[in-house]
Amino acid sequence: MISRVADHCFWFGRYVERAEATARMLSATGSLALDAELPPAQVWRPVIVVSGEEDEFRARVAEGSDDHPAWGDGEIVQRFMVWDETNGVSLARSIMGARSNARSIREVLSLEAWEAINELHLWSSPEVERAGFTPARGSDEAQTQWAQHREGFYQQVRRSTQLALGLLRSTMLHDEPLDFIWLGVLLERVSQTARMLDVHHHAFTNLTPNQEIIETALWLSLLRALSGSEAYMKRSAGRISSDAVARFLISESAFPRSIAYCVHSAYERLCDIRPPEKHDLPGGISLERLRVLDSWVAARSKEPLVGRSVHELLTHVVDEVHAICGTLGTELLGAG
Amino acid sequence: MFSMFQSQSQSHGGGLFAGYPALPGTYDEMFENGAARPPFARVAQLLAKIGMDELARAQALAEHSLLRQGVTFSVYGDARGTEKIFPFCLLPRLIAGSDWARLEKGLQQRLRALGMFLDDIYGEQKILAAGVVPAEMILGAAGYRASLRGIKPPGGVRIHISGIDLIRDPAGTWRVLEDNLRTPSGVSYVMENRQLSKRMFPRIFDAARVHRVDHYPTRLAETLRSVSPAPDGDTYAVVLTPGPYNSAYFEHSFLARTMGLELVQAPDLFVDQDKVFCRTTRGPRRVDVIYRRTDEAFLDPEVFRPDSVLGVPGLMRAYAAGNVALANAPGNGVADDKAVYPFVPQMIEFYLGEQPLLEQVQTYVCLRDSDRAYVLEHLGEMVVKAVDEAGGYGMLMGPQSTAEQRDEFRRRITAEPRRYIAQHRVELSSCPTWVGDRQSVEPRRVDLRPYILTSREGPWVLPGGLTRVALVAGSYVVNSSQGGGSKDTWVMKEPSSPERAARAEVTV
Repeated sequence: MISRVADHCFWFGRYVERAEATARMLSATGSLALDAELPPAQVWRPVIVVSGEEDEFRARVAEGSDDHPAWGDGEIVQRFMVWDETNGVSLARSIMGARSNARSIREVLSLEAWEAINELHLWSSPEVERAGFTPARGSDEAQTQWAQHREGFYQQVRRSTQLALGLLRSTMLHDEPLDFIWLGVLLERVSQTARMLDVHHHAFTNLTPNQEIIETALWLSLLRALSGSEAYMKRSAGRISSDAVARFLISESAFPRSIAYCVHSAYERLCDIRPPEKHDLPGGISLERLRVLDSWVAARSKEPLVGRSVHELLTHVVDEVHAICGTLGTELLGAG
Repeated sequence: MFSMFQSQSQSHGGGLFAGYPALPGTYDEMFENGAARPPFARVAQLLAKIGMDELARAQALAEHSLLRQGVTFSVYGDARGTEKIFPFCLLPRLIAGSDWARLEKGLQQRLRALGMFLDDIYGEQKILAAGVVPAEMILGAAGYRASLRGIKPPGGVRIHISGIDLIRDPAGTWRVLEDNLRTPSGVSYVMENRQLSKRMFPRIFDAARVHRVDHYPTRLAETLRSVSPAPDGDTYAVVLTPGPYNSAYFEHSFLARTMGLELVQAPDLFVDQDKVFCRTTRGPRRVDVIYRRTDEAFLDPEVFRPDSVLGVPGLMRAYAAGNVALANAPGNGVADDKAVYPFVPQMIEFYLGEQPLLEQVQTYVCLRDSDRAYVLEHLGEMVVKAVDEAGGYGMLMGPQSTAEQRDEFRRRITAEPRRYIAQHRVELSSCPTWVGDRQSVEPRRVDLRPYILTSREGPWVLPGGLTRVALVAGSYVVNSSQGGGSKDTWVMKEPSSPERAARAEVTV
């Protein structure tokens, strides 16, 4: 397929997944804020840290200070993460990114998948052109829901993105374009899981020993933010510990958001796109690097996970995924 | 039943059309002297039964569905990339089967002659030698590309896709207003509009027995394959678009999607040893046919616009070598130039030895002294058009113009007479149209753009076309850029006896 089109497919997948992950994380954090008796900054600050926009938030919102009350203000953090168009990873930007990439490859997507993402855009976009048009639903509805029923707002975003992802798999040919979309989804998911686990693991291990109940609430919240609490319970029979949660999110090969699962599936997708034996085709460097990462992550499941090793492991994963996205760009997606 | 029909016909079928104010001196497509035209009586009766509220609701639903599906065009000069839906009226424009049969023949004849004209102009130029059309008119046209002379297009076709704009005068006579032989747009709306009217009025649509239009993409794909330089079955054809910011981007992606072809942009293509390749994830892939929706000025910077960074360097060399087919062929602009249009009837006689089947609009060519004198004398009554502009730009609507505008055009015509032609304003026919802000049905002026595909086997006319409607009361301008909208065009099948239909099925 055309490299430029593959690039749009890849980024379409990443943006859709990112929009879903952002909505999920904000929804879980909102719920945690109601339950846990924690200082608000300890609840909301990780959201900004996970998104990688700490510096941006400090400079534009928190007046350059780390003690500014904005770090603990759920409303401010949520507005920054949802509506702020200057924030490159805000929900609004992710939906816009998904939609504009989709619009560039409309002929590649199935009509149903396109409509799902276009409807989400029309629903959420604050500036939809509606001249002479009576909307059954539009940005007003999203605004009302945002103001009156926050959980419903996030749920709507999650359902729309999940619908789009489901429709892609059930209505498109399972060949190269879908492989590229899914590669984007999976690599985005690896990063999201790794960053969220890293930030939370770091914060939790710094809690004082008598805060066990809070710790349980935090781990549950993290699992919920990754749609993994039910799956985790099935594996652990109700026992929650820091090590068990970390091991589950890193190594559980049957959980579709674990790092092991996502890296391995991404490797399989790339093998379909660029078969390992076809040495004359471009993509060899990315494929090899992803293969190495896959076996490295698999090997870690046999080692104990303690303290700083979790952070080092996750940092390595995030750095490698970043590097692989770079080589994919130059080898297959027409960059440079 | 009979008496009800009688009383209804007094008021245009009553219901939706009660009190329909026909425009004096204008041919109305549906009604004549207060009654529906005979071939449309049944459909008009069914349409009339739709209540005003129901139509308003259906109209809102249809518009919502267009927005939801992203059937939009980009508004130029808007940094936020605003998109709008193309205004659409659900009330269909009807064309009788017998009427259509005549139009179809006339359009095929016109396309054959225009194709031969282009072959001749880029070949021996017999028509100029014979003095049938003035050489300075042709060779001075902005669309004439002297550098293309002697190049034979792969498959021998130049006008693969065309859209011919037709209007209907007050006597009901169809007239060609202009030819679009470069990159005519709008056919995706024909298919989208059809989807909407089928969904909103299924029973009426069924009763009307309308020719289908949804096979256009299949025919277009066949047309493209028919001119491929590659062996049968091996053709790699692509659609070339300027990109998502082009106002017709929706159509480009629509056609690529419905034909199952890839939609490419110029940077996706490159030329090596006079062959065109596409950059793919598996390395370069040879391209045989390009349905290009880019202006030819931006096709190949080596040839047309050395200052341009757009386009595919070397594309014209590959074309000249016969290694890639371009649809439409570059250079077609000489045949749809507004100042060449007046000579099409002579072309038909010269190349085909036939009388033209379609009328045109009498046109004054400002390059001719006598014509120019007449035009300058009668500016206030005439429509003046720049020959190299489209979309309703560069026009003077004499009867609605101010003295200042007329002075401006007098200056322009005198300075550059080759650039201008003039016509008397034709009373475009009208069609019952939903007027949203007044919640009523009123006559609005329409034209018709049928689409013709020409393959190796000759021209094929899509039974239907884009009916464009001037939505503003009193307006004659149907262009989407200037407040125009569109309607579905229902070409009705000719009534045939059931036996004949049955026999036909057996023979198939």
